Amino acid sequence: MVPAAESLRPLPLKTQETGESSVRTLVEENALIVIGRRGCCMCHVVKSLLLGLGVNPAVLEFVEEKEEEVMSELERIGVEGGRETVKLPAVYIGGRLFGGLDRVMATHISGELVPILKDVGALWL
Amino acid sequence: MGDTSPRTSGSTDGDMDQNNLMYDGGHVGESSDRSKEKLDQKTVRRLAQNREAARKSRLRKKAYVQQLENSRLKLTQLEQELQRARQQGVFISSSGDQSHSTTGNGAMAFDAEYRRWQEDKNRKMKEMSSALDSHASEAELRIIVEAVLAHYEELFRIKSNAAKNDVFHLLSGMWKTPAERCFLWLGGFRSSDLLKLIASQVEPLTEQQSQDLNNLQESSQQAEDALSQGMDSLQQSLSETLSSGTLGSSSSGNVANYMGQMAMAMGKLGTLEGFIRQADNLRLQTYQQMLRKLTTRQSARALLAIHEYSLRLRALSSLWLARPRE
Repeated sequence: MVPAAESLRPLPLKTQETGESSVRTLVEENALIVIGRRGCCMCHVVKSLLLGLGVNPAVLEFVEEKEEEVMSELERIGVEGGRETVKLPAVYIGGRLFGGLDRVMATHISGELVPILKDVGALWL
Repeated sequence: MGDTSPRTSGSTDGDMDQNNLMYDGGHVGESSDRSKEKLDQKTVRRLAQNREAARKSRLRKKAYVQQLENSRLKLTQLEQELQRARQQGVFISSSGDQSHSTTGNGAMAFDAEYRRWQEDKNRKMKEMSSALDSHASEAELRIIVEAVLAHYEELFRIKSNAAKNDVFHLLSGMWKTPAERCFLWLGGFRSSDLLKLIASQVEPLTEQQSQDLNNLQESSQQAEDALSQGMDSLQQSLSETLSSGTLGSSSSGNVANYMGQMAMAMGKLGTLEGFIRQADNLRLQTYQQMLRKLTTRQSARALLAIHEYSLRLRALSSLWLARPRE
């Protein structure tokens, strides 16, 4: 059994005075970050799964009022292949959009998730 | 003749007397007075109509009673058929939760589709079993294995559609037999349970395969746990939403709150469909991964073992339903 990681470090969404690049900065500065709406149950699923693997992911949970702002910033973050709209909850690994819960689940079952996490230093064993 | 009571000696009464006379006497009367004849004809017609109406009513009642008798016979026959079918292992849900007709229809439609799917699966598995027994070629086995996998995909498609209509019916597991419901998790089976099952059923396994299956079992367990925790969080969130504000107070502020709460709660219930989808995706992906790590022959044996296990659960359910009760 993997021991449960310490509590999540929720990151407050920086106010607009620090510039619109706050979300971008968070994504770029963290090996792994989960972004979702506050109170979203699927976001909780992603967090639980990662915690259960021994990962301590950065988490950004925003309130409804901030959604438009966050989403427009996320769209601007370049992703491989020019993906369309970002679906929440969204997981960014190594500064790039990895996917949503679907992708996280699928790659975990295929055994590919743990190596990826180790690669970016989000998981040590 | 009629009464000529002394009281009725007024002019109008006099006329009445005349009529009474004629009436009581039963004769049409010698008078050729047209108005008196018409009155008689009206009366006669009315009497005749009454008789006719009474006759029709009796006929209708007779027909109705006849219909009731027929229905009763039919009902007895249906009950016997049902009993026979149950004893032969065909599962028929006895839930009568059809208070809302559209919901009931959706649930019934899904139950019927699922029954058909089960029958299809039985057929495919028989094919698989005889192919294994007759030492069919790897290619032949591969075809059947792929067909079974595609058949599971079909089930998850059916469930996905049903979830749009009635997610609670799926979650209830009422479409499964009682013993199967023991193991119900998010509207279906636990992949991790199935993987535990096949480890012993598809020997011999190579070191690598053992390792792979172990890893897969652990991964699916972790994924299941994460989804379970998500459901717990949903439950908690729903409870908090419904209990916020002052329960039992009917101030106007509360009414506005109430509507807001309901709207939020509705949104939360809407996520249940997503949970079932995630759980079914997990089931399908676990099957796919399992088959990737096994040889064709092993895959065939694994699928057969799972099927046999589910047949035993269903047989147990039939026994349970047919058990003698005081």
